[in-house]
Amino acid sequence: MHDMLNLSLTGVAEKIRKKEISPVELTEAALARIEATEGVLNAYVRLNADHALTAAREAEAEIVTGRYRGELHGVPVALKDLYDMEGLPTTCSSKVRHDHLAEQDSACTARLKAAGATIVGKTHTHEFAFGITTPTTGNPWNAEHIPGGSSGGSGATVASRGCFMAMGSDTGGSIRIPAAVCGTIGLKPTFGRVSRFGVASLSWSLDHVGPLTRTVRDAAITLKWLAGYDPRDPGSANETVDDYLSALDAGVKGLRIGVPRNYFFDLVDIEVNKAVQVAISKLESLGAVLKEVDIPYADQIMGVEFGLCMPEASAYHRGMLRERADLYGEDVRVFLEAGELISATDYITALRVRQQMKDAWQTLYTEVDAVIAPSVAAPATRRDQEVIDWGGGNEEPVTPAFVRLSAPANVTGLPSVAVPCGFSSSGLPLSFQIIGRPFGEARILRIAQAYESATDWHTRAPSL
Amino acid sequence: MNRIPVTKEEIETLAKAARLDLPENRRQLVAKTMDGIYQILASLDSVELGDTAPAFAYRAKWEGR
Repeated sequence: MHDMLNLSLTGVAEKIRKKEISPVELTEAALARIEATEGVLNAYVRLNADHALTAAREAEAEIVTGRYRGELHGVPVALKDLYDMEGLPTTCSSKVRHDHLAEQDSACTARLKAAGATIVGKTHTHEFAFGITTPTTGNPWNAEHIPGGSSGGSGATVASRGCFMAMGSDTGGSIRIPAAVCGTIGLKPTFGRVSRFGVASLSWSLDHVGPLTRTVRDAAITLKWLAGYDPRDPGSANETVDDYLSALDAGVKGLRIGVPRNYFFDLVDIEVNKAVQVAISKLESLGAVLKEVDIPYADQIMGVEFGLCMPEASAYHRGMLRERADLYGEDVRVFLEAGELISATDYITALRVRQQMKDAWQTLYTEVDAVIAPSVAAPATRRDQEVIDWGGGNEEPVTPAFVRLSAPANVTGLPSVAVPCGFSSSGLPLSFQIIGRPFGEARILRIAQAYESATDWHTRAPSL
Repeated sequence: MNRIPVTKEEIETLAKAARLDLPENRRQLVAKTMDGIYQILASLDSVELGDTAPAFAYRAKWEGR
């Protein structure tokens, strides 16, 4: 593998700034790397070579004449194919959208272009982001296993060194799940922190957009360029954007980290559990103060998640389901049909329970600065696997098994970052997440950075 | 509020109310899915909500255009 593709975004940006790496050569290398791995991974709906190389040439011309825009300038990145990019289709990995053409850039696309990034392509999603297996795509650590989802293509390409950052979206875990099972960082910012304008919706109440990267600092840098108010997104928050980098290396000494007594460790793969416990001990050894906490409204988390997501998704797809039902994949079609049949009062009840849940989490955070938990309950399942066998006759379908630990940060809207913390005996990545206070991204990134700096999981690369 | 298993005939009625043309060969599949969804939603029934208002995203303020 070419050395420069193995650098972090932070590392490659520094070399671009110093004119030690050419954005054009870097983009050519990234495109070649993607083409070399696509036969196994199929991470991309389409490559965007012409645009990327044009942007790279422009970046190079600007940088050599002293007009360096910042860390993303000349850096190859990718967009989940829910994000509009002017002049290109946004397929959502669905035949339903085969004739779609974006008329303008999504807010994130525009910000990435303005930052000078070279967008190498559009990555595969589970169809319309409504699932967590991304069946089109393989896991770079073992292509017979899922890359997670719904941002599976983004997880696969970041882990396999196809690009330095890829955007995902997260409605029930769709940034953190692929990050966890592909061994990358996955940052779901606070609800409203990053504009969703121009990103196809799954559920307006639960959708978040954010980056998958190979290091914590790369995620902090990306958030710096993406965060901000956008009135075109009705969920966008008009809150001050913090400095995510200045205190990144401040460590965890004295920070109070909540370790859940219930819910998050109730039904978890033994290797995941052990790796997360070791990670918790590592943070304690670095000076964090651990405190056991009880997760409020644990029995209602999935009820709120599904009670909001299902009818909102069906509302978004209402016209398409009536015109093009046969073009949907079976799993998505039946969810959309079922979502049509949920009563409005069930939906509003979910909204009301969510309000009470929010208040209870606020109380929880009077005792702690962050909560740590496994990102997902198990390592990546096989692509043909439908259930996880927990033993004792207890089988759980794959989708709820992966969603239930990520959903709490969706229904509460709290920021959460997934961090690699080891590998299973079969060589698949393991991960924990840190959940913070509203708009507390700087603090959870600081905790993640402390852990990452004390370990080397983020330096491991799949042998593709 | 007990949730009872949903029949495909009930699914047909619900689909009509939603103005959704659900072919005969899909009703059993949707009924099975709805059973699972109703089980998940049942967890919300036990919460005492009092006067708790839902959070809607609507804001009356006009944004600059």
